[in-house]
Amino acid sequence: MSMIKLNKLPVPTFSWLGVNDTQREADASDIKTVTLDEEKSESEVLQSTAFEITARSGEIKRAVMFIDPTDKASIRTTVKAENSSAVTLVQVFEGKAQTMAKLDAKLSDDARFELIQIFLEPGDALSDINTTLGGRKSVFTANIGYLLGGSDKLDINLLADHLGRKTNSQIAAKGVMNGSSEKIFKGTIDFAKGCCGAVGAENEDVLLMGEKVKNKTVPLILCAEEDVQGSHGASIGRVDEQHIFYMQSRGLPDEKIVQLMAFSKIAQIVDTISDEQIRQRIYNKIGRGNKNE
Amino acid sequence: MGEKTYVADIDRSRYDFRFDEDESSFLGSGLTEEIVREISQEKGDPEWMRDLRLHSLDIYNKIKMVNWGPSIDELDVDRIITYIRQKSRMNTDWNDVPEDIKKTFENLGIPQAERESLAGVGAQYDSELVYHNVRKEVAQSGVVYTDLESAMHDERYAEMIRSHFMKLVPPTDHKFAALHGAVWSGGSFVYVPKGVRLEIPLQSYFRLNAKGAGQFEHTLIILEEDSYLHFIEGCSAPKYYEAGLHAGCVELYVGKNATLRYSTIENWSKNMYNLNTKRALVSQGGKIEWVSGSFGSHVSYLYPMSILNGEGARAEFTGITFAGEGQNLDTGAKMVHNAPNTSSYMNTKSISKSGGISTFRSAVVVKPEAHGSKSSVSCESLMLDSISRSDTVPAMDIRTKFADIGHEAKIGRISDESVFYLMSRGMSEQEAKAMIVRGFADNVSKELPLEYAMEMNNLIGLEMHGSIG
Repeated sequence: MSMIKLNKLPVPTFSWLGVNDTQREADASDIKTVTLDEEKSESEVLQSTAFEITARSGEIKRAVMFIDPTDKASIRTTVKAENSSAVTLVQVFEGKAQTMAKLDAKLSDDARFELIQIFLEPGDALSDINTTLGGRKSVFTANIGYLLGGSDKLDINLLADHLGRKTNSQIAAKGVMNGSSEKIFKGTIDFAKGCCGAVGAENEDVLLMGEKVKNKTVPLILCAEEDVQGSHGASIGRVDEQHIFYMQSRGLPDEKIVQLMAFSKIAQIVDTISDEQIRQRIYNKIGRGNKNE
Repeated sequence: MGEKTYVADIDRSRYDFRFDEDESSFLGSGLTEEIVREISQEKGDPEWMRDLRLHSLDIYNKIKMVNWGPSIDELDVDRIITYIRQKSRMNTDWNDVPEDIKKTFENLGIPQAERESLAGVGAQYDSELVYHNVRKEVAQSGVVYTDLESAMHDERYAEMIRSHFMKLVPPTDHKFAALHGAVWSGGSFVYVPKGVRLEIPLQSYFRLNAKGAGQFEHTLIILEEDSYLHFIEGCSAPKYYEAGLHAGCVELYVGKNATLRYSTIENWSKNMYNLNTKRALVSQGGKIEWVSGSFGSHVSYLYPMSILNGEGARAEFTGITFAGEGQNLDTGAKMVHNAPNTSSYMNTKSISKSGGISTFRSAVVVKPEAHGSKSSVSCESLMLDSISRSDTVPAMDIRTKFADIGHEAKIGRISDESVFYLMSRGMSEQEAKAMIVRGFADNVSKELPLEYAMEMNNLIGLEMHGSIG
C-alpha cells in the first residue's frame, strides 16, 4: 500500500515539529457518489462515500451526516453554494475505524456556508477542510468540537481562502482531550490580494485532562491585502482553578466538576446545531441524555 | 485626489559606506576541505577544533537545504568568500586599529558608545575581531570579555570553551549550523562569575565590509549562578549587488537564578542573507530576555530558541521586524519547556511595506515533565500597503495537562476610527497616522537601551506628507 501526504500546512514550518503534513496509507476502496438534492437530508455513513451538495441561487440546504464506518473509510464532500444561497453541513464522527474526511467548498456572492464537525471519540480521524470564499460578501462559519479519549487520534487541517471582497470567516474549535489522545488542529485564514474589507477570526480552546495527551495547535494567518482584519487566538490548558473553587463552594465533588467542565466545552459546539433531535442524539452518545441534568 | 500617506523606508545611508578590500587577504570562495583546513591552520586551532570543523563540513555536505521559509535559491555558497585574513592583530586600544577600520566603527558610533555607556566593546571587521576592551573595574570583578579565539588558546578558559562550543547548537542542527561549524571565525566569549551583576552592558559589533563575503562569528556567553548581564549585539554591512551571507551562531548558558538580557539590532544591507542561529539554555530560576530588532538583510531566518531546562526558568522575547522593498524577513522565536513551573512570553510586532514580506514564525513546546508551565504569545502585524505581505505561522506542541498556554495574533492596517479620533482632537491625518505607527512599535522600543531606541526611531522614522489617497 502506498503512503500519501495529507493535511498539508499551506505554509510549511519547522520540520522537527512534525506538523507540515500527515502520512496515511492511500485508500483504494471503491467510493460511491451521492448527490444530496433535498432541502434537508440526513445520512448514516458506514463506508467510503463522496457527497455532492449544490445550493442553487437563493436555495437553502441542510445536510447531516453521522459517520460511523465499520472499516477504514474516505468521506469526500463537495459543497457549491451559488449566489445568495446557504448551506449548513453537520458531520458527526462517531466510529472508531480510521476515517479520512475531505471537504471542498466554493462560495459565490453572498453565499453562506455553515460547517459543524463533531468528533466523538473518533479512533483515528483526519479532516481536511478547504473553503474558498470567492464571492463578494460570502460567509464561512466553522464550529468544530471534539471529545477525545483513550488513544484517539484527530488531525484537522482547515483553510479559509479569502478571495472575494468583504468575505467573512469565523472559525471556532473547542475540545477535550483525555487519556493518551493526540490531536493536531491546523487552521489557516488566507487573505489573497484584492479581498478588501475581508474579516477572518479563528479560535481554539482546548481542555487537557489526560496525563499523556499530545496537543498541537497551529493557527496561521496569511495576508497579501492591506484592507483586512485577521485574528487568531488559542487557549490550551487545564480546568481553571477559580471555576473549580466556585463549584466546590456550591458543594459539587471534584469528579463531577471535571465532567461538567468537559461537557460544557463540547456543548458549546453541539448547541450551534439548530435541530433538537440531532443535538439530542449527540448528547445521548456522550452519556448526557438530558443536557440540563 | 490626495497623495497617499507615505511611510519612509529605513534610511541606511549611515551604514552604506565602505572601504576597498585587499583581495589577497581572501581565502578562496566556496567550501572545500582545503579551505576548511587552511582556515583551521590560519587560526592555529587545537586538534579538537580542527576535527570539529572537518566533521561539520562532512555534515554540511550531507544535510539538505531547508524546505520551508523564504527562498534562498539565489544564494550560491560556492561563491561566498568564507574567510578574510585579518589586517592587524586584535587590539585593546582604538589608536592601534587600522585607520579605515577605525573610521568604519567611528562612523557607526561605537567608540563613543563605549566611552558613554558600555562596560566593554568588541568589534569584528569581516572575519576577525579587530578590537576588544573591557573596563578595568569590570575585569577586576572576574568578568571575562574577549574574542573567542584568544579564550580558546588561554589555558584558563580552553576547557570551558571545549565543553560548551557548539554543544547547544550542534553542527547537525541544520545546514547553516554545519556551515558555521566548518568555517566559523571571530566572535566573543563572555564569562560572568557567580554573584557578579554587571549593571552596564557589554557590546559586540559585527561589520561585514568585503563584497561577496560571509561572516561566521561565534558568540559564547556563560553566566554563573546569581549573575546578571546585558549583552548588546549590532550588525551591519554596506550594500553591494553581490549576495553576502551571515551565518553566525550564539550560544548562551544562563546559570541558576542568573539573568541574561540579549539585545540585537540587525541592520544588514539588502544584499545579505541572514541565516543566524541563537540558542539559550536556562537553568533553575534563571531568565533569558531577548530583545530583537530586525530591519536589514534581503532574506532573514532568525528564531532565537530558549531551552528552559531548570525548574522555574523563564524566557521573554520582544521583537520587531520591519520589511521594506526587496526584503523577506522570516523571524520569531522558539520556546522549549523542559522543566516544571517554567514560563515563557513572546511579544512581537511586524510592519510590511513597499512589497516587503514579513513572517512571524514561532514554536512553543511543553514537554510532559514541564508541569505547571505557562506560556503566552502575542503577535501583531501591520500592513502599510497592498503590495506587501505579512504571514503569521505559530505552532504549539503541548504534552502535559498541567500547563496554561495562551496565544493571540492580529493583523490589519491603521484603523480609520483611530485616525478619526486623533483628528477630532486636532491632529492632522499625517500626524495621527505617524503617532499610531510609532505607538505600534512602542512596546518593543521601550525595551531597548536608549541609544538603540533612538536608532530604531530613526529606522522606522515616518515621513508623512500629503493626505490619504
